[in-house]
Amino acid sequence: MKLARFPALAALLISASGSLAHDLQYSVDSGQAVVIRMFYLNNTPFTFEGYEIYREGEKLPYQVGRSDSQGRIAFLPDRAAEWRIKAISEDGHGLDFTIRTDAAAVLSGAEKPFYERYARIGVGVAVILGLFGFLSLYIKRKRSS
Amino acid sequence: MHIPDGFISPQTYLPAYAVAAGLWAYAARRVKRDLDADTLPFLAAYTALSFVLMMVALPLPGGGTAHAAGIGLLAVSFGGWMGFLAISLVLAMQALLFGDGGITALPINALAMGFTGSFAALAAWKLFGRLNENVALFLAGWISIALPSVLVALVLGIQPLIAQSAQGAPLFFPFGLEITLPAIVLPHLLVGIAEGGLTVLGYRYFARLRAKLAT
Repeated sequence: MKLARFPALAALLISASGSLAHDLQYSVDSGQAVVIRMFYLNNTPFTFEGYEIYREGEKLPYQVGRSDSQGRIAFLPDRAAEWRIKAISEDGHGLDFTIRTDAAAVLSGAEKPFYERYARIGVGVAVILGLFGFLSLYIKRKRSS
Repeated sequence: MHIPDGFISPQTYLPAYAVAAGLWAYAARRVKRDLDADTLPFLAAYTALSFVLMMVALPLPGGGTAHAAGIGLLAVSFGGWMGFLAISLVLAMQALLFGDGGITALPINALAMGFTGSFAALAAWKLFGRLNENVALFLAGWISIALPSVLVALVLGIQPLIAQSAQGAPLFFPFGLEITLPAIVLPHLLVGIAEGGLTVLGYRYFARLRAKLAT
């Protein structure tokens, strides 16, 4: 009788360990994350848009998700690496840039725009007028020769 | 409407570079032949205006932003080829100096906004100019935004079909035509109204100023 019970008990335990895999647990920690805020030129946040984060040299994403209501992405690097962040909205807006962090989520390098928004307008207009200035000199010289 | 880097597959941007390079070379020859010293300061000013307009974001209903571009204004004021080159210059500067719009996407942006936008604007202006000049100018501005937006939506929307991983996942832009066409085109039909108004006012000012300087 005792021997007959053993296989039944073993079968019950095996099936119970299988069901444990479906019993989702959680733990809560606070830690340091990399936080990226995405926004349009008028400061409207890039909200609830899909993004993918890739560790350097890898094709499978390290993290995927959607930006939050403030247009933010938070992720926790597992090692020092370069990370490619790709965020795309349905209407063709988006960003594709890389950052470098250490394992403690401390930023050690990021591609940053060369000029800030308003400086860009001034620099751009100056470059255009400069180019046309040279073109004007070229046309005048061509006419005089 | 500018497409950023990373959205377009090489199967798309390499042929686009070849087509755009040919058109840039031809346009440069045409502009070299037609451009004179009197036109140059106006072209410089309007190209700079186009750059500024592209940097000024207009909020859209439902989120996001869009901007006018001055494509129709450049095309009706200076012709299609000058318009194409001027818009290409602005797009190249934004991509190379400021990272706005991608370097890989540059030929597509230039072909859609610069080439198609300029020549569509010219066609509308010539077609409707006999009926009413203001209406023709407005439609030139409107279509210079609306038609490129359709092209950009098509190019983006076909990316999932063109470039996929072995598992069938899109490698570049992930949304298909059923999403890109309404999401991109509909807001730009509204932006086209602003562009149309700008084309009417800008062209009138340009014509007045030119006449004043000629006397």
